Amino acid sequence: MKRLQSLKMRWVTWVWNHTPNCAEMSRLASLALERPPSLSMRLRMRLHHLICAWCRRYEKQLRFLHRAAPHLDKADHDKPAVRLSNDAKRRLIERLNGQDPRT
Amino acid sequence: MDAPSQLQIRAAAKPVVTPSGGGGAADPERWVEQHADALYQYALLRLRNPQKAEDAVQETYLAALRGANRFEGRSAERTWLVGILRNKIFDQYRTIGRETSFTDLGFYGDEERDRFLPDGVFAGGWIHELGPVEWKDPAAHCDRAPFWETFRSCTMKLPHKVAAVFTMREVDGVDSKEICDILNISENNLWVMLHRARMALRRCLETHWFTKPS
Repeated sequence: MKRLQSLKMRWVTWVWNHTPNCAEMSRLASLALERPPSLSMRLRMRLHHLICAWCRRYEKQLRFLHRAAPHLDKADHDKPAVRLSNDAKRRLIERLNGQDPRT
Repeated sequence: MDAPSQLQIRAAAKPVVTPSGGGGAADPERWVEQHADALYQYALLRLRNPQKAEDAVQETYLAALRGANRFEGRSAERTWLVGILRNKIFDQYRTIGRETSFTDLGFYGDEERDRFLPDGVFAGGWIHELGPVEWKDPAAHCDRAPFWETFRSCTMKLPHKVAAVFTMREVDGVDSKEICDILNISENNLWVMLHRARMALRRCLETHWFTKPS
């Protein structure tokens, strides 16, 4: 049991020493959404994920936000939380009605 | 995500005349009734200023009125109007980028540092208790209006320029190169700003939505 523990610690330390640290990993996770990382970087990130639940979550959550964000406006289109005041709407209609569509 | 709206803008610019009977596309009262709130909300998130947002909505309607006969009715009227508004907003960004600078590297440079170990063998690693927590089935939240309200308010907490970059990239789906062109910033600075925006937004959503005691 003790031997297993020590083996695990050595594996974790080895991976840690051969992969970017978590602060760097968070930067790389964002960058990966802009342009694909090189193969060697991808491998190192994968390797890091093997020993780090936090970076796995971070990347997964960033990808989720990336996928979800485009729905922001669609999501509140039907019932906008923010509204234009009635005064502003009246002004708007007046302005539009006063406009000759052909000019 | 931006492909259809790009097409949309091109379609709107193409001078194709269609019969606009049956109420017609250009019916100001119905237009305002149906779309003004949504357009205003869209503009406010991106311009951060009620007056500017109102003006942008008005300009959008005026432009739409002038181009009403070009509206092909192929896609939703809302999409068409949002496309016009989006271009107006990007024009304003363009002006800001030309006259001052759209780069903001001050925001969130250090804020997350306290979540990483400062030294030791695992320096730069997440402090376990402060690292990202598991989000249970996040996709299920996308159907819920309060989730988007939280998303919106978290975006509003970002500094304006950082938020503008984030919304352009993530919400409007504009690609990096095009954002750099519009805002007149370097790709490297864009990446730094996006990284910090995502980090701050992730943390905000985690605090105010995913781990909020109900």
